[in-house]
Amino acid sequence: MQQSIPESLKISPFMAAFVVVSMQIGIGVLGFQRIISKDAGYDAWMSVIGAGLAVHIIVWMMYKICEGVDGDVMAANIFVFGKTIGNSINTLFIIYFTMTCLTLLSGLIEVIRTWMFLSMHPIFFASVYLLLGIYIVNGGFRTVVGISLFGIVVPAYLLFSFLAPIRYGDFTNLLPIFDHTPVQMLKGAYNMTLTYLGYGVLLFIYPFIKKPKESKKWVHIGLTATMIFYTLLAVITFAYFPISLLQKSIWATLEMWKIVKLPFIERFEYLGLANWALIILPNVAISLWVASRVAKRVYHISQRKAVLFIAAVVLICVLMLDSRERINIFHDLQAKAGFILAFIYTPFLYILLLIKKKVNAK
Amino acid sequence: MVRDMSIFFRRRRRQKEQDDKEQKKQPSSKGNAEKDKDKNKDDEKANKHAEEWEKELSKSTDYQKKDYINRKTGKKFIFTFIPTLVEEKVLDNNALPPLLEEEFLKIIDVKKLLPIADVEVSSDTKKIAQKLLDGYVLLTLEEDTREFAFFSAKKTVVRSVTSPEIEFSVIGPKEAFVESIGDNLNMVRTRLPVKELIIEEYTVGKLSRTKVAVIYIDGITNKEIINTVKQRIDDIVKDEIADSSYFTQLIADNGNSPFPQLLDSERPDRVASSLAEGKVAIIVDGSPHALIGPTSLTEFFNAFEDYFLNWILATFIRMIRLFAVVFSIMITPLYVAVVTHHYELIPKDLLVTLVASRRVVPFPPVLEALFLEVTIELLREAGARLPTKVGQTIGIVGGIVIGTASVEAGLTSNVLLIFIALSALASFTTPVYQMSNTIRLLRFPFLFMAEIWGILGMTIAFSFLIAHLLRLTSLGLPYMEPVFPLRLHDFKDALFRLPFSSQSKRPTFLRTGDSSRFSKDKAKKKKDIDE
Repeated sequence: MQQSIPESLKISPFMAAFVVVSMQIGIGVLGFQRIISKDAGYDAWMSVIGAGLAVHIIVWMMYKICEGVDGDVMAANIFVFGKTIGNSINTLFIIYFTMTCLTLLSGLIEVIRTWMFLSMHPIFFASVYLLLGIYIVNGGFRTVVGISLFGIVVPAYLLFSFLAPIRYGDFTNLLPIFDHTPVQMLKGAYNMTLTYLGYGVLLFIYPFIKKPKESKKWVHIGLTATMIFYTLLAVITFAYFPISLLQKSIWATLEMWKIVKLPFIERFEYLGLANWALIILPNVAISLWVASRVAKRVYHISQRKAVLFIAAVVLICVLMLDSRERINIFHDLQAKAGFILAFIYTPFLYILLLIKKKVNAK
Repeated sequence: MVRDMSIFFRRRRRQKEQDDKEQKKQPSSKGNAEKDKDKNKDDEKANKHAEEWEKELSKSTDYQKKDYINRKTGKKFIFTFIPTLVEEKVLDNNALPPLLEEEFLKIIDVKKLLPIADVEVSSDTKKIAQKLLDGYVLLTLEEDTREFAFFSAKKTVVRSVTSPEIEFSVIGPKEAFVESIGDNLNMVRTRLPVKELIIEEYTVGKLSRTKVAVIYIDGITNKEIINTVKQRIDDIVKDEIADSSYFTQLIADNGNSPFPQLLDSERPDRVASSLAEGKVAIIVDGSPHALIGPTSLTEFFNAFEDYFLNWILATFIRMIRLFAVVFSIMITPLYVAVVTHHYELIPKDLLVTLVASRRVVPFPPVLEALFLEVTIELLREAGARLPTKVGQTIGIVGGIVIGTASVEAGLTSNVLLIFIALSALASFTTPVYQMSNTIRLLRFPFLFMAEIWGILGMTIAFSFLIAHLLRLTSLGLPYMEPVFPLRLHDFKDALFRLPFSSQSKRPTFLRTGDSSRFSKDKAKKKKDIDE
């Protein structure tokens, strides 16, 4: 259905999990606690688990879609909807992943400007960061995957820093359990799904995985790891903050880092923030790669040019997102689009694919 | 001498003209005549060619042609050679006595007479010039100049084998490569006396005509790697090759990278052991360094001495070395980042020490750091360019006098001086010289990024570095192996050096023909208590 990928460019099934997980851990980690506890209060940690399980189901569907056409989602779209409509939907993906890249970059710049360099002009940082992204994408998919690995492994030491707030935490904050209505919990879960977003790349990297069947195991293990990480982080945060204070903390994770004390480092959040630039990097690189790859497949242009063009668009848009309000509006928009793609479009496509296969078989 | 040669050829031409006339007189069958015509044409061409080389060579003063007379037959024979390339002893002791004393009529008899292994009889004049330049002596008989003989009397100027200087080891073999390719190949072959060891020779460079040997073990080394190497060598267009380091640059996967993509070594033992792992070695004539590929980043931080030590010690030393590299690159930028942007990052007590040491320094931290870094680089460069004994003095003068004086003058803080001296020291722990040069360079981009955005800038610089390393390949194989692609098996000899008993498999990334080095079960067999 599509040109096959040379074996030497494919990645091992194990690595697929790193791509998915690194895409899932983004700017959201720094401040998801406030958003999920808005509706579900301190019962939100259950929403985190619930949303995590829902993600497993969606990823299972994504695998089914890709297996069904033995290719990526673009092939599935064309198979189900025909060439014209299929490619129109694929074009939407370019826009979505450009938006993702923009969200991450503007989010990162906002955190940096809030916490580190008040007077930093976004244009320099965004240009350098996008150049870095282009450089990685130009290295090919393997380089992108390599950055995903480093983006998880190198900053992994930050996990230990979350142990520090436990000492000061009051875990009775979480009691009583089941204090909220199921609707509130569901709302919390809905908000959590936005933080989980990113596993959608699976639909695009599927043809690049060496033994896709084997990768299922690893990807699901990865998703579980993310779920455990988010749940623990939520629980620690809830124990650390009284609920009224948490509602005022936009970057709860960063604020928690303030309590970390080491003999040679006073303000740990600086280190964490600097490392966050490395954690966001795979996200930016992967979304640039996906957007440019879709552009290449749909419009038959060279991927090098597509990357440059998309990066230029992102750069211009970053400059326009210059206030907290605009960023908020944009992030909400992007999150909604992500939710629709994951929880409405994916099942819809899956069902249509099944029907189409049945019809074709007859 | 010049005249001699021209006479020789004039005579040759005359002889041919006579032959032509005879042929015209007696026309043989048609086919034969045509053949003869072709032959004549070839002869003419060859003659022309011969005259050309003669003209060129005779411009040099080191070109000789000498006549001798055989005592028995009274016939004249001529030696043509380039004395600067020829060992006179071979002429005096081996070649002349039999030729002067024994009877010989035809050039073919020379083969029997000469006690020299490399004797060749030929009538191809095109070969002459090259053979003479390779140190051969041309032997012709006065009567019949159509056929002639060559024998080798090459004089090679080589130094004797010395101990390794760059990859010195306290224990282990003390043999290092020399400039002669023959001696180097000998050192490798004696270490791996198996018939599967294949040596393929190439000649590269229009002017230098450098001999290059590609060595691998048949059945172990991946064919694709060998082909890549051969292909790249064939593609070289440079006219002159002075050293194997030219090769590193010419056949590298990415020529625009500061990172060396082939490992160079002056130790025959290291080359032999790499070959046994399934790698390819390249030995270039005139270079005391062999190249080993494909290689990976971690290999540049492994000294060969690691294998002579117990694995626990070796692993410990490797860890120290890796720490030293990170320290060497990061410490000065970190100082600049902290002092310029994030003084809140460090605890108060430490900050007090830092501020106190910087109180009188009038420059921003980045200039202060650059000043010291450049000083260190100058010292290092001066030390490398000067003769050894003067170099030591420069080191002392620079290190002690300039350092102390600049602190006393208030140009730099003494804390930074400690950091810079330590980082210079740490950068010397890298066992491969080429890599330690790269590390020298890497510090500067980090320094600039630290000045702009503090530790955030350092993260960006680090990301660029990682992205660059991920893009690099060595002979088509990933440079960051075993970290990416992640191959846990290959960590046994990358960051760690596990005991030999767990090194039973060859590195997976080399995709060797035979992945097993020895039976693992046998190596790991243990006796039960009191048996």
